[in-house]
Order: sequence, then structure tokens, then C-alpha cells
Amino acid sequence: MPQYSLQVNGQPQTVDVPADMPLLWALRDVLDLTGTKYGCGVGSCGSCTVLIDGKAVKSCQYPASACVGKQVTTIEGLSADATHPVQQAWIDMNVPQCGYCQSGQIMSTVALLKQYPKPTDAQINEVMSQVVCRCGTYERIRKAIHKAAELSAKS
Amino acid sequence: MRRRDFIKISSMTVGGWTLAQLLPVKGLAANAPECWQPSPLVRLCPDGKIIVYVVKQESGQGVQTSLPMIMAEELEADLKDIVVEAMPYDAAKSGDYSTGGSTSTIRQYQPLRKAGVTAREMLIAAAAKEWNVSIETCKAERSKVVNSVTGQEFAYKDLIEKASKMPVPKDPALKNYKDFRVIGKQGQKKTNLKEIVSGKMKYGIDLKLPGMLYAVIVRCPVLNGKVKSWDPASISKVDGIVQLFEMKEMGDQIENRSGVAIVANNRWSALKAQQRLKVEWDLSKADATVSTASYYKLQESKLKEKADLIYNEKGDVVTDSFDANAAGVVKAVYRIPFVAHATMEPPNCTAQFKEGKFELWGGFQNPGKVASAGAKYFNLKAADVFINLQPMGGGFGRKLSADYGAEAMQIAKVMEGKPVQLIFTRADDIRFDVYRPCSTHQLSAKISASKKPDQWQHHIVISPVMDFFQGNKGNPGWFSAEAGGGAYGDMYYDIPQLRAPMTRTMPPVSLGWWRSVNFTYNNVVIECFVDELAKKAGMDGLSYRLNLLAGLQKGPIKGGSVYDPRRMENVLKQCAEKIGWNKKRAAGRGVGIACCFYNHAKAYTAHAFEVSVNKEKQVKIHKAIVVTDIGTVIDPDGLTNQVQGSYVWAMSALMKSEITVLNGAVQQSSFFDFEVVRMNDLPPIDITIVQSTEEPGGAGETSVPSAMPAMMNAIAAATNIRVREMPLKRLGYSFASL
Repeated sequence: MPQYSLQVNGQPQTVDVPADMPLLWALRDVLDLTGTKYGCGVGSCGSCTVLIDGKAVKSCQYPASACVGKQVTTIEGLSADATHPVQQAWIDMNVPQCGYCQSGQIMSTVALLKQYPKPTDAQINEVMSQVVCRCGTYERIRKAIHKAAELSAKS
Repeated sequence: MRRRDFIKISSMTVGGWTLAQLLPVKGLAANAPECWQPSPLVRLCPDGKIIVYVVKQESGQGVQTSLPMIMAEELEADLKDIVVEAMPYDAAKSGDYSTGGSTSTIRQYQPLRKAGVTAREMLIAAAAKEWNVSIETCKAERSKVVNSVTGQEFAYKDLIEKASKMPVPKDPALKNYKDFRVIGKQGQKKTNLKEIVSGKMKYGIDLKLPGMLYAVIVRCPVLNGKVKSWDPASISKVDGIVQLFEMKEMGDQIENRSGVAIVANNRWSALKAQQRLKVEWDLSKADATVSTASYYKLQESKLKEKADLIYNEKGDVVTDSFDANAAGVVKAVYRIPFVAHATMEPPNCTAQFKEGKFELWGGFQNPGKVASAGAKYFNLKAADVFINLQPMGGGFGRKLSADYGAEAMQIAKVMEGKPVQLIFTRADDIRFDVYRPCSTHQLSAKISASKKPDQWQHHIVISPVMDFFQGNKGNPGWFSAEAGGGAYGDMYYDIPQLRAPMTRTMPPVSLGWWRSVNFTYNNVVIECFVDELAKKAGMDGLSYRLNLLAGLQKGPIKGGSVYDPRRMENVLKQCAEKIGWNKKRAAGRGVGIACCFYNHAKAYTAHAFEVSVNKEKQVKIHKAIVVTDIGTVIDPDGLTNQVQGSYVWAMSALMKSEITVLNGAVQQSSFFDFEVVRMNDLPPIDITIVQSTEEPGGAGETSVPSAMPAMMNAIAAATNIRVREMPLKRLGYSFASL
């Protein structure tokens, strides 16, 4: 199998995977970064969202081989101890229920705040409707995003 | 260090478990003999940590937060000292270990409190002895015993050995509600919050064992179909395939499909092979013509035939009186579709068969069922199955069923010695779920001069969940679960003559429990029908309901609890006030209200909505209100999260979600065709939690049911059109953009 050199959370990593293997499985099964979740495999739920060069990407739809030369950031790469402003806001609002989709929600929010540092509800709704939460934590996510925008502006 | 085992065995029971049944538990009891375990539910360690064992499975409903809060209250422990551990399921020693029906708090409340107060009194007694003072001089607070005269303190951790030697108090006094400092505490954070937001929470699917293999199954798309053959050449280009073999149907209580297992040395190969493997099916015993359209017709036709069974709870209903043309008669047919659970973490299980025993890893709401049904299939004892329980990425009743655990066992048996992880892809999850039943309801009532329905008949055509959950399909006893939610014994309005005929139809798919199950059909259609009666009587929905409650007295109700109509009136009135029930509204605006008594979970809830609906049938929610009374609230923020989530769950089912079958096969496969509510669909809901000192009720399901009929009633008020089927998407409705 071909080898691909990736930059994941600022660290160089080499993965030995088929060219068509989605980044999702390379992260989870090869690099043991299981914070990125499998939810549907067809880009319909957003649980697997990571950042590639700062943009939100559904990692189930993006081959690991296409990440060579790009910066991949997963939930594990946001901070060592849950201190990233988005994580802090999630803690402040006690957002999760089961928590399974929250990595995808948080990574999507990080990308959203890069695009709109002070997002409106309409901007939040448009972008975040990509990520499904069956527990129904949307209202708290919306509040947490506003809070994260505040925290980011301070830091 | 001298290592001694301070574990003290008493006869205290824990929700049906005795200590002897619980201890020792593999991996837990033996690892800290210097600790003191005054009860199976708590262990105090010399480093100051207080381990609370949660015997209910975390699925997002918050048991790993709320149950430890109950322990902290009576033990007078500082919450920061508490470490939560889930106990694994060892069939050799464990009793009932199921998590469902919104009963975790109800069943654990007293055992946790008793365990806490027992330990507290023994700690106090130990300190009193040390200081040579009376126990009245000592009080416990924040993991310490304090001498209230001298101000001296003993940390619990320094009293462990001495406390363990104190006599076990026989009947220790529990704290009074007014003295609670943890139960009901605002702003409590989830105990696993930091793990979740860091991506460190380990769900079943995140498990990786040395040498683990990866499995998926190609299942027969049609119920009762069987594998005829498969073509290994169709996947010859996929690397890493270890083995292909036939998956047998495992029978009653497991209800898995025939199929072909694909075992690979990496997940991506297994997934690719699943897409490509060509399988021939033998459909000679299957119905490959059935569709939901034909099933709906079948159910409707059964309404006109004699029922299988009649529940006649009260009075002598004269069925002839439901002539549609007679004065005061209202008749309506409602239909509720099949729906999937679509837990964000799809079902999965890792299993290993070694030396004649199974070890499993995963998230299960009912591990005992997996162990017993799986062991039975393999002619083993349940004690030969050990289950390591991991938090679930959503449960909603899906993970009460044993299919995915048993399938993993079947695969592990073939791959003897090697751990194998079976996952359901999302398509597997949507196509091979155990669905909430589809049901058709004929409601008929005759209104008397008092405007009340003196005669009421609710004919339910359904396939009982128990046919699939418990086996023994066709058992008339299984209907009773389907009658709950107000259809007969637990009717919560004053209706003197009540009759509930029930008819069984065999469904084209397997069934299972689903968040609020029977309440999401019976309570929903009853609450809509009551609005239809109100309209006939010329009354508004609120006054009509209050009129139907006024004559009722508090008392026992079928389903196991006491029904208090005053609590129902209270949530309705508060809800009406919040929505401004009597306010004059602009043309095109409608308000609707509905309520639910969730009997076995002792909860009273009312929802109200104000909506408008445009020509494109887009529903705009102007106001969403819920008032809920679940008795004593343990974790208010956790409850609020459940109530918010229940609103989302209910609106998904009402507006968007439906499983349809064509030629015997489920047509949906992911979130693009099995649609659910997303961030851009719903405005926030205004939540009121009734302050109460009643015994605690349940929270997971109890705020789901009334949201649906309240919304349907609001739409009817706004449009003058009554919708009687779900999801409303079928009829062209959608949510207006926010």
C-alpha cells in the first residue's frame, strides 16, 4: 500500500493506506484519533467534521491521500486540556447529552468562527445545519457559539 | 503497606440486586482492597476519591451525573471527590441491568440514598468514637465529619478503616427535602463533559483491541429472506478480507436477519467489500411484495373487522352509538408510521470467544438480554458471557434490542480466539433497525349534553413490540404494552365508558422500543382527538381538557402509579398562561395545547405552540412552551437538556421522519432520506419546571409525547385543517426558515 505523509494536529504522520481510504478511517483506525466520529459515511450528518487548512471538511468524504501537504486538525488538536474557546463555551453551556456528535459540532464551530467571528443566528443556522444531533442539543450549541465568539474576542 | 479488605457485606439490596450478587465484579472489586465499600454502589478510597458505581447505562440522559448527585447528597460528599464508574455486566452475578422507560432515577433514588446515609452514619460513628463524644455532636459535610463543639475535623479518607468496623445502622434517617444541597442544585455540569469536548470519551465504536478484526454484514433486505449464495469473486479486488461466512438467523428475542459476514483486517476493506459483494437471496419464505402502502391499507381494513381483543375498562360502551350521522358523534382515523432511531453512534459490538466463553464490549441498554439470548443460542450459560459496558452515543430504546450484540457473538464464535468489532453502517442502521411500530387508530366518541364524551372507543391496529422483543409472536398478552399511554387502563380524562379494541397485523420489519414508544401514538392521537371533540362541543382545547379533569380524584391508575389530576391541571394552566391562551391573535395565527401523563415515570407535561402556516404549508413557530412536573428534580440543568432534546425528537417524528418499505425492503438509508430536525428548523422552547417535593419521576421520554399533538392542534387552529397522519412532510408541510 502507498504511504502518505500527513500533518495532523501539527505533527508529521505517515499512514500506509489505500489511496481511496477516507481520512476518517485513517484518523480513527490508523492514527487512533477516535475523537473524530463515524456517523453516516456519506456526508449527511457531519459527525466526522475536521479542519483541513482551517476549513471544515467531512472527513468521510475526503481521501487521506488528498491530505498530503495540508494541515489536518482534529478535536484532539484544539487544545491539550479543553481550553480552546469553543471547548470552554461548550463547558459553560453544558451542551452535550450523549456527546457523540459534539466533536463534529465543535470543529464546525471553529471553522464558522474563522469565517464569521461574530456570527448571527442566521449564519449559525445555515452552517451548523450540516451537523446532526439526535439528542437535540441545538439550542445549547447556538448559545455556546455566541459564547465562544465572545471568549475568542477576549483572548 | 498493610493491605486489608474493608469491604463490608450487608443485606442491603440495590434495585433488586443483593450485595452477594454484585460482588466481586471482575476488574473492580479486587483492584483496591485498601478501600472501604459500604455498599455495592459506593467505595471510599484512602486518596480521598469516592467512587460511585452507576448501574444504569449512560446514553446522554445523564445518569452518570444525576445518580452520583443522589449519592453525594446523603453521603454528604463533596461532588469534586466523586469519581463515576460504570459497572460491567457479569451475567454470573448481575441481576436486572436494563436502562429504559425513563426509570433510572425512579429505581435508583432510594437505593442510592440508603447507601449514602448508611455510610455517612458509620463515618460519623467512627469519628464520634475517636473524639469520645456523642454522635449528636458530630455532623458530616463535604466529605468530612466535623465536631460541632471543638471544630475538629476528620476527612472521610482518614476514617475509612474505623468506619468499616462500626455496626451497620439498621434504619438510618434520610435527609429532608428542605436540607438538600446537591439534589436540585442548579448549574451542575455533566461529569463527563471535559472528556466529550476533548474527543476523549470512549464509546463502544472507539474500542481497539490488539489483533482486532473488523466485521460488517450484508443482510437480506427482506424480512425472512435467506442467503442462497454469494460470489467471492465480486470482492476479489478488495485487499485485507480475512473470511466470508453465512450469518444465521438467531431466532426469538434476537431477530437478526440472514446474511453474509465479511471479516477483514481493516475497516475500510470490510466497508468496500460490503458495497460490492454480490449475494443471491432465497425469498421463498419472504414477502417481497409488501410495502408500507399495502401495510397502511391492511391496517385500515382491519378497523372495519372484528378486533382480536377488547379491553373494556369502564362501563358498557354501546358501539352502535358511533353512527357518524348521529348527534354528538365524532370519528377520526389517525396513522402513525414506522420510524427508526438513528442513534448518532450506530449499533456496534466488539466480541471475543475464547476458552468457551464470550467477552463483549459495547453500549447496551439491556446487557442481560444480550447475555441470556446469545448464550441460549450457543447452548451456553448466561454466566459464560461477560459484557464490558461503554457509554452509548445515543440509545433511545434501540440498544435495548439484542441483535447487534448477538450478531457480534456469532461472528466471534467463527473467528474463535480473535476479537472482532462489528459495526452497523448508517445504511445498515436505517434499514435493519427495530422500528417504532406503525399503527392505525380509529377513535370514536359520542358527546353528551355535558359536552363530555360519555362513550369513547379507541380501536388500535398495530403489531406489538413484544412480538419481537420477547418472542412468542401472537401472544394476546403483548397488546397490553400497546394500550398504555391512555388507550384504556391509564386514560387520564374523566370518560365514563371506555372501550379499546385491538387488532394485530404482522409488520414487514422488526420492531423495538423507541423513545416514548406507545405514548407517541396513543397519547398523540388521543390529544388530537380531544381537540376534535372540543371543536364539536364548541369549546377551546384548554377549557375542554380542564372540564375533563375537574371531576377526577387522585388515585391509582393502571401502569403502576398514582395519578393526580391536579398536577395535570397545573401544567396545563401554567402552559396556557405562558402561551397567552386567551390573547387576541392576528389572523392566521393558531395556538394548540396538549398534555401527557407518563404513568410509570410519574410525569405530567403540557406543551403549547403558536404557529402560522403559509400557502406553501411552511409552518412558522412563533412561540413554543413546555411545562413539566416530574416531582423532585435531581439535576435541573440535565432535565432542561432532556426537555429541549425531547422537543427536537418529537418534531423530527412529527414533521420529517418516516420509514417506508417497497418490495419488502426499507427504502431509506441515511440522513438525507431519513430526515431529522437540524439546527435551522426550530426556534428555542420556553421551559418551565414545576418545583415539587413529590417522589422523583423520569425525564428521558416524558416530555416527548405532548409536543406532537400540541403542534398538530396549533396547525389545525391556524389552518382549520386537521392533519391525522405523520410525518407532515407527506402532506407537503415543512418548517419555515427561522
